Amino acid sequence: MKDMNHEGGLHSAATMYAAEYAEGKLSRREFLTRTTALGVSAAAAYGLIGLPAPAQAQEAKVGGTIRVAMEVKGTKDPRLADWPQIANVYRGWLEYLVQYNNDGTFEGRLLESWEANEDATQYTMKIRPGVTWNNGDAFTADDVVRNFARWTDGNVEGNAMASRFPGLVDEATKTLREGAVVKVDDSTVQLNLTASDIAVIANLSDYPAAVVHSSFKDGEDPAANPIGTGPYVPQEVSVGQKAILVRAPNHTWWGGTAPLDEIHYIDFGTDPAAMVALFSSDEVDANYESVGEFIDILDGMGLVKEELTTASTIVVRMNSSSDLYKDKAVRSAIQLAVDPKVVLELGYNNLGKTGENHHMFPIHPEYPELPPQTINPAGLMPALEAAGLKDTEFEVISLDDGWESATTAAVQAQLKDAGMNIKHTVMPGSTFWNDWQKYPFSSTTWNHRPLAVQNMSLAYTSTGSWNETSMANPEFDALMTQALSIADADKRRELAAKMGTILQEEGYIINPFSRSLFNHHKEGFTGLAQHPAFEHHHYKWSTV
Amino acid sequence: MGLFVLRRLGVMLLTAIALTFVVFFLTNLQPNLEKLARTEGSVRMSEEAVQDWIEQNGHSGSVFLRYGQWLGVVPGWTYTDEKGDTRGRCFQIGEDPATAPRYCGLLQGNWGYSTFFKAPVLDSLGEKLAATGWLMLAVMLVMVPTSLILGVLSGMREGSVTDRTLSTFSIASTATPEYVSGVVLVALFATAATGISPLLAEWGLIEPKKTLFLASATSAMDDITFWNFALPVMTIALYGIGYIARMTRASMTEVMTQQYIRTARLKGVPFRTVVMRHALRNALIAPFTVIMLQFPWLLNGVVIVESLFNYKGFGWTLVQAASNNDIPLLLACSVVAVVVVLLTQLISDIGYVFLNPRIRLA
Repeated sequence: MKDMNHEGGLHSAATMYAAEYAEGKLSRREFLTRTTALGVSAAAAYGLIGLPAPAQAQEAKVGGTIRVAMEVKGTKDPRLADWPQIANVYRGWLEYLVQYNNDGTFEGRLLESWEANEDATQYTMKIRPGVTWNNGDAFTADDVVRNFARWTDGNVEGNAMASRFPGLVDEATKTLREGAVVKVDDSTVQLNLTASDIAVIANLSDYPAAVVHSSFKDGEDPAANPIGTGPYVPQEVSVGQKAILVRAPNHTWWGGTAPLDEIHYIDFGTDPAAMVALFSSDEVDANYESVGEFIDILDGMGLVKEELTTASTIVVRMNSSSDLYKDKAVRSAIQLAVDPKVVLELGYNNLGKTGENHHMFPIHPEYPELPPQTINPAGLMPALEAAGLKDTEFEVISLDDGWESATTAAVQAQLKDAGMNIKHTVMPGSTFWNDWQKYPFSSTTWNHRPLAVQNMSLAYTSTGSWNETSMANPEFDALMTQALSIADADKRRELAAKMGTILQEEGYIINPFSRSLFNHHKEGFTGLAQHPAFEHHHYKWSTV
Repeated sequence: MGLFVLRRLGVMLLTAIALTFVVFFLTNLQPNLEKLARTEGSVRMSEEAVQDWIEQNGHSGSVFLRYGQWLGVVPGWTYTDEKGDTRGRCFQIGEDPATAPRYCGLLQGNWGYSTFFKAPVLDSLGEKLAATGWLMLAVMLVMVPTSLILGVLSGMREGSVTDRTLSTFSIASTATPEYVSGVVLVALFATAATGISPLLAEWGLIEPKKTLFLASATSAMDDITFWNFALPVMTIALYGIGYIARMTRASMTEVMTQQYIRTARLKGVPFRTVVMRHALRNALIAPFTVIMLQFPWLLNGVVIVESLFNYKGFGWTLVQAASNNDIPLLLACSVVAVVVVLLTQLISDIGYVFLNPRIRLA
């Protein structure tokens, strides 16, 4: 066990986590998430808890083509990408510094390794040697520094990465702070943060954080001039129709040979019923996601099901900028009139786990166990009456897609049963997303993020860029700032418990369940496991 | 005749300008521009960022001037950001603005850049029109002969059993809109669980878990086969068959009551010859107009059918352009619609002269 000290290269917290795992305080997945985020390699992390690292797949069979049904949206500047589907296309040729795997671990891709200091204010990153761009240029520390500058540029409208690295940004210019990202040598980059940030590594793995070449023009379509480090290049990207990735010619990919010759994404729209017809008429080999009652139907067709329990969720939230939901008592009464169990059953066929109205789930390392809330539909009408809203007609808005709409309908039905005069309005995606942050009462889907504080800081702090509730609670903001500097999840859990309680008490959100994610593919393919963030890791895909 | 055609073309031009301006005005309403900004920039943009985006991408200022840019009579917009990068209507990111032309609208042959397809409008629309052209051709090939035969058969002996049966069929098919017949056809022929496919599979005529026809025509974009094209074609054709058959029947029954038909019958000419030689040509004048009028109506049908069967042609493009507020693409679609409607009218007017010598074009 001599390797298990800090001098030996392991972060001290890692050994502590190992002890917690041994005591049963941590699940395997939580343990892996936390230790790998501190720079411990996945293999070493498994070693710490006495498990063998999962064996790499047998030498995969090279060759073959796969047809995947997925919406093909226009590729855009990665930092502006707002859908995982967009990223899944450019993932063919653009890679990430770090990859989040679906077992909860972080794996260095363009980084060989990284290390955080004790209070997570300084990260030292080692760049993977031998990586080249498909135009022949070598991948160096300069590329990393340049991409950090792109990500931190807050002057670009819609830059999804801009708010991810507060510790690297110069407040005045809203761009990368001088000296924040330093090239130590050709293969080493150092991040100097102004404040602790435990989410740096997780943020680097998110889908807008694809690493682009120096010739990439800001705002350009990455498919127009596809220079990347990845194994594939786009042969065709026709929006709304199809995208074809083929092996990059004259390019030696650092990871060896990606098994499949070609990957075809075909857009068949979003109707899940169409998927059944497509599989039965042999027009696709795999889909992006299987939902609702179609999971059973697809199972029945002899397809291989991939399942993953995540922290992907739906939030039916009120917005206090509307007069109807200004009153905390009204919000709480509405929240407590809805039984998550019923919503999970009616809205999602029990294909998930019930939530606790605080947007944290057991999969998150800092998940706190709070006393269960008491569901009390009888309390709704007195609260509405007290606020003078007894006869008001309320409206809850949702997307017209299957389960989002069903979940919202289940919430509406329970509120109606409790006596509230409420109607449910469904909107198509093209209209719904225009005002998603502004509706007084509506449902929003939230993707899985590895740490609970990531979602919470985006959604519920007063400055969060995706704040859709207008919640501005100074105590919550202060706790969040503090929580984001604590790498130790046990200590962070105390804060998470407080934040969770505040969220529950504020009553803004009904967070009925977290979803399991499913996809299906034909027999004859392997490696297509579902990912918590719908990421497609093409190099893992192969035929058998 | 020449003057008539010229006048018609003039009307076509005026209609196109009027219609495109209406479409331009509607797509440039503030909420629509905000929608565009969010799809183009990022769904998660803030309110201010959206306003900035609209201004920086040439969507602010007078709507007339912007329409003028599209026509090519007003210089295209340019915008230089704080980093000194310039973008504009007449050149793409990375091109030198100095060498770009000042005007780049319709008059210069530039139909604009589709924000949805991320490609020049002309290229993407051309390809989609070709796809729809194949669909329409197939529909016409099925619809016209079938409906004429049905109409003539039921019209030659008014009130007979044949007439009643065929009339019932035509009324039923023309009373069923495409979005109903499409779904019914898919359920009958293209699902592995219901309809006739499981039966056929049981009898060993098709492979188990397969269907007789495909419920999606996406693969027909690359390669049209009977299996992927039958259902969309049938869906559109069914509606038209009933309608044209009714028209043909009405015209046929009228012709069959004429004196000259009675004379021919009394002379002892066989019934078959009477119908083929004496009645048919006169009976076809009215259906000819109706068939030409079906072209604009087909444009309507393809919107529904192409969306239903995921066939990426003109109708599907129109739906995508509208739901993504793709301004140049919608304008181009309107121009195409105007041209198709007025051109088929023109052909039907001219064709009329040849079928009916009593009519002259002034």
